[in-house]
Amino acid sequence: MTEHEVIKLTNEVFIDSFEIESSKLLPEANIFNDLGLDSLDVVDLVVALQKKFAVTIRDDERVRNIRTLGDLQQFILIIKKEIGK
Amino acid sequence: MRTIKIAFLNFLFYTFFFIFSLVAFVGLGSLILFSAAFLPKRKILKLLRHAIRWYGAVIIRILPFPFIRLDYKNYGLNESSGPYLFICNHRAASDPFFMAVFPYEIVQVANIWIFRLPALGVIAKIAGYLSVREMPYEQFAAKTCKLIAQGVSIVAFPEGTRSRDKSVGQFHSAIFRIALETHASIVPVCITGNENMPPIGSGFLYPGVVKIHRLPALTWDKYGTFSAFKLKNYVRDMIAKEVLTMDQTE
Repeated sequence: MTEHEVIKLTNEVFIDSFEIESSKLLPEANIFNDLGLDSLDVVDLVVALQKKFAVTIRDDERVRNIRTLGDLQQFILIIKKEIGK
Repeated sequence: MRTIKIAFLNFLFYTFFFIFSLVAFVGLGSLILFSAAFLPKRKILKLLRHAIRWYGAVIIRILPFPFIRLDYKNYGLNESSGPYLFICNHRAASDPFFMAVFPYEIVQVANIWIFRLPALGVIAKIAGYLSVREMPYEQFAAKTCKLIAQGVSIVAFPEGTRSRDKSVGQFHSAIFRIALETHASIVPVCITGNENMPPIGSGFLYPGVVKIHRLPALTWDKYGTFSAFKLKNYVRDMIAKEVLTMDQTE
């Protein structure tokens, strides 16, 4: 899966599950302050991402370091690469 | 002259606040202890929550008058008797007192510091106020759903903290998940003019008019298809829009 595909699919999750306008989905957008998710919304986000990318990220410690949409996209890219090895 | 006026207001308010609180706590404590002998727990809690409302009404309407006045508008007339989820914007530590304008049995969702206040914190705990940061969501949800089933309305300040610049901050979704679970009607509540009562980091009250607008309830048939995320932002936008108008017409 390419970086472009990961970005596209991640953005789709935010648009479909949270109805966030695509214009707000910038790599530097903070998931909490700019996109308005809270800890409970993040649980919904993780479920939607797991479904979208067919990965398990719920118990991954690296999730705690994610702050921006760009961080999240890079994290998924790494996960997909690890699975592909 | 203004400094003298403010000092006079604070001297008067806090003097009467402490005297009235002392009398109210002793009176209220005696009443609760007396009624505990022959009333069931549910009735005692109902009595206590209404007593808190009466106490709050004196604190906000009588003690600071005429320096601080209240302008309450109810745009939700002819609605059912509840229970409701009152969702409010949050600018001042005095906000929980202003909830006394609502004529219902109410439990507030509060931050930890409320429960650490002398006397008031103990009363809040006994009345079943919810310390949302001290319990996991599942426990919070179970307690809140039980209260709503008993007919108790809930007051929440989903920004979680006081606004420092009059803007309405991002909302937490917990209370909106409860709404989706219980189908309770949501009442957006907009409060302005309270940012100096007292300002963040101060205990001083400043004269002014506090405006409270109760907007029409958002019922289950209107929000039932929303996600919790969409619902919290929908209500936040309603409140932010009204607050902006209220600030502009000060």
